[in-house]
Amino acid sequence: MWENRCKVAVSGVGFSKVTRSAEIPLAAHALTAVQEAVADSGLKMSDIDGLATYPELPATGHAEVDGISIVSVNCMMAMLKLPNLSWHIQVGTTNIGGAVQQAVNALLAGVCRYAVVWRAMHNPRGTYQNLPGAQAQGAAQFTAPYGFGGPGQGMAVAYTRWLERHNQNREKMATLTVTQRRHTQHNRHAYFYGTELTREDYLNSRMVAYPFCLFDCDIPIQGAVAVVLTTADRARDLKPRPAYLAGYGQRLHFEVAGRIGSLSNYMEGGSSSAKLTWERSGFSPQDVDVAQIYDGFSASVIYGLESYGFCPEGTALDFIQDGRIELDGELPLNTFGGSLGTGRIHGLWHIIEGALQASGRAGSRQVKDANVSFVGASAPIVTGTTFIFVGDPY
Amino acid sequence: MSDWSKVTRPIPVPNEWTKPFWDATRRGVLELQRCQSCGHFQHPPYATCVKCIATDLKFEAVRHDGGGGAGTIYAYTIMYHTGDRRFASAVPYASIIVELDDAPGALLAGNLLEAPYTEAKVGRRVEVVFERLNDDITLPQFRLARTASAD
Repeated sequence: MWENRCKVAVSGVGFSKVTRSAEIPLAAHALTAVQEAVADSGLKMSDIDGLATYPELPATGHAEVDGISIVSVNCMMAMLKLPNLSWHIQVGTTNIGGAVQQAVNALLAGVCRYAVVWRAMHNPRGTYQNLPGAQAQGAAQFTAPYGFGGPGQGMAVAYTRWLERHNQNREKMATLTVTQRRHTQHNRHAYFYGTELTREDYLNSRMVAYPFCLFDCDIPIQGAVAVVLTTADRARDLKPRPAYLAGYGQRLHFEVAGRIGSLSNYMEGGSSSAKLTWERSGFSPQDVDVAQIYDGFSASVIYGLESYGFCPEGTALDFIQDGRIELDGELPLNTFGGSLGTGRIHGLWHIIEGALQASGRAGSRQVKDANVSFVGASAPIVTGTTFIFVGDPY
Repeated sequence: MSDWSKVTRPIPVPNEWTKPFWDATRRGVLELQRCQSCGHFQHPPYATCVKCIATDLKFEAVRHDGGGGAGTIYAYTIMYHTGDRRFASAVPYASIIVELDDAPGALLAGNLLEAPYTEAKVGRRVEVVFERLNDDITLPQFRLARTASAD
């Protein structure tokens, strides 16, 4: 087990308003989320001495303007003018989960005391993926000429491979999307709060990139979420009940860029990250009371459930049936609605919900007696990270 | 059947790793990068062998047609979204990933041509056809293996 097990905790969390299009600059969303997270902890802004984020805009072909389309650490530093700032970072080889992990490491190293991590997401005007111009450079030279554009198609080819190799049926995915949308109705911050989704809506929805229909894809939104992390001893003195970090991991596998369609990229990415997390935390999939698994595209949940070890390969669409992922089921899943319910914020909202469930702060969607709370904070491929939070360290 | 006649495809830009591939397709030959140490074929090209980390890699010809086809559909997607306007006139169309018999583990992207998009299925036999984009670039593409389509 990890010597630093349960020595760092998530304290406060914060949310900006989520909107479909950009009505105010993204920096304002990020500032609101950070201010709310600090206030939720019962801290003053001057207590914050660590900053971390992953600022990438996953859209292509749009100008990167700090404060408008991304919110970098520099942007946040300029806004907050923190008098006691002592550490900051932006990560690259992992997604926002990596920023959280770096904040954990900084707290353990004693180079900061109260770190705030935010994820701000812009929805640019016009087409989200403005695909390569007249020329296809680099790895895209073998894919773009055939109409492979955004990440959705790359995920879609792996999904057909999974479906047909395991003789599965995409209609079973309706259960995931409908259940998550029902969970969303307990999350007032979510984009789809107040909007129902039925099985018929899913089955009759227009195709985007088969096997993905509209409701298999998270909706691009403008918004931000934030979280305060601190050492366990400090967290116990703060207002919210702490969610202790029992262990974390990151994917240790990478295939050559441009090699798409391969499932091993997802499975080995996910299993390498989960293996570290199980070993460090001392838990196994059977110990998990509630799980948040990244769902920017619905199929990511399949690869997550299977590669993290919750069910055997080829069975995830059966595993999610029969009430298992309901709030009172055997493995309540994406209890805040997931990205399919909140809109596209990437993985920080999954981490926040994992912490809220562990600390018993999830309100009307709280899973009864939840203690061991698992998070797969991004697709197991490329940027995958995993976490386990607990309310009662044991 | 998808109408490709009005589609303007992005033109590949060969680089240090990929130039031999495009030089070969221009001649109507499919050549993939092969490790001279362990014999493994790989695609897309890379600096090292993805199997044994050797750096002695050469492009060698692989069989691209013939009786029963030259490979199988490994994965596919049917594209309906028209976010990329250049491909809008072809939707719905099949973008496929093919594993060639001569190069297990190497995965080539392409479109399924000369057949309805509904014919794209994992495991179906295909062969390579060459689609000339300009004087410099010819794309490898795929169609169902002749024996399979004649059934």
